[in-house]
Amino acid sequence: MNAQKMQQLVEQELLTSYDSLYRLAFTYVKNEADAMDIVQESSYRAIKNSSSVKNAAFIKTWLWRIVINTSLELLRRNQKEIFCGEPPERGKEDIYLDFDTIDALDILNEKERAVIVLRYFEDRKLQEIADVLEENLNTTKSILYRSLGKLRVKLTEGELCHES
Amino acid sequence: MNHNLDQIKQDYQNIPIPETLKQQVELSIAKARTDLANDTSSKKPSSSFTFWLARGAVSAAAAMLLLAILANSSASIAYAMEQIPILGAIVKVVTFREYERQENEMEADIKIPELEIKDSEGNLMEDSTQKLNGKIKAYTNEIIAAYEADLKAAGGEGVQAVDLDYEVVTDSDKLFSIRFHQTITMAGTAQMEKIYHIDKQTGEMIALKDLFQDGTDYETPLVENIREQMQAQMAKDENITYWLDSDVPEWNFTKLPDSVNFFISASGKLNLVFDEYEVAPGYMGIVTFEIPTETVKAIVKDGYLQ
Repeated sequence: MNAQKMQQLVEQELLTSYDSLYRLAFTYVKNEADAMDIVQESSYRAIKNSSSVKNAAFIKTWLWRIVINTSLELLRRNQKEIFCGEPPERGKEDIYLDFDTIDALDILNEKERAVIVLRYFEDRKLQEIADVLEENLNTTKSILYRSLGKLRVKLTEGELCHES
Repeated sequence: MNHNLDQIKQDYQNIPIPETLKQQVELSIAKARTDLANDTSSKKPSSSFTFWLARGAVSAAAAMLLLAILANSSASIAYAMEQIPILGAIVKVVTFREYERQENEMEADIKIPELEIKDSEGNLMEDSTQKLNGKIKAYTNEIIAAYEADLKAAGGEGVQAVDLDYEVVTDSDKLFSIRFHQTITMAGTAQMEKIYHIDKQTGEMIALKDLFQDGTDYETPLVENIREQMQAQMAKDENITYWLDSDVPEWNFTKLPDSVNFFISASGKLNLVFDEYEVAPGYMGIVTFEIPTETVKAIVKDGYLQ
């Protein structure tokens, strides 16, 4: 498959699944402006590097991976900014929406979060998720079980608080 | 447990998608494509999150405006003109103003022409002239206002370049067309086209429907013809893609956009123009279809098409 054709397919996939990509980014950064940035930046990178995709079947997982990596990059950058005490260079204030249950995902690390989102919210197969994370299937499974365990703990604690 | 996961899933699915997201994705795609084509990647690596300064600003776009003046719309005059090479009305650019600004990384260079329409005896046709210049002014004012709004919103931090130029593309006995080309460079460049038409006899703006007899269905034959052309092009060249029977049914081309762009070529053929992403993936750019006049011969008003 030639580079132009692949670029075209990546473009099509972006325009089909940008909303899912946005939601995934949102679970990491939890605000609209940053999630938008991530999807834009990821789209740019995807088109720019579309020639590196060897098989059209992997476009989807490859896009998920770009979004996750870009999200983590932004989070790290923001952390650094806070550490240096620099004022954020945003023209607009970031709006944080109140999604209590999504905040429950905060207890998960970056890989665990991706596994939960992709497996349960996006209905992806475990093998696909393994491809996204560049892990083998068994490791992915154990990340999944670990994540479920952590979430149960988190949610139970929350319930206890409400009761007391 | 699963109940709780369901709750999170529901919230996840309720994460609102910003209205401008799709557009921004399209712009990113366009920018990446431009950068790939220019091969600037080695010189200017895209440092993440630096070129998205104008977040939320009006979409980057290269818009084109074509003002066409139909010199005559009556068949008898058209016929007469074919026979005797008399000179029709004279339209020319007499002067232009320039809006030039530069503030930090924001700049604008907008040329605003002023035109004059004279009848065949050389008398100024004031009404038509005023109307035409009024339209041009309204169009350019809109661009200037958008730029100034972006400038204000960015608070001195924006990166944007707006350029508007014009060109007289047709100047025949029957038709005078001035085409505006607008380029906004921001996160990326995309293209949009806007074409206005002024019937020179009345000085009024006309839309596609005005070319056809009242109450006739012009849309169906046009759509059918364009779909056929799309099919034929796609069969011939695998690099060509239109949204005809794509995976996303709502993208498929089944009807004309509300204010569809068109122009009438020098040879009197109706051409329909579609913006990027309107009927095809962005890489196809602006696409134009020439409609064979026979397709609409029965319903078109006299004199517009040949």
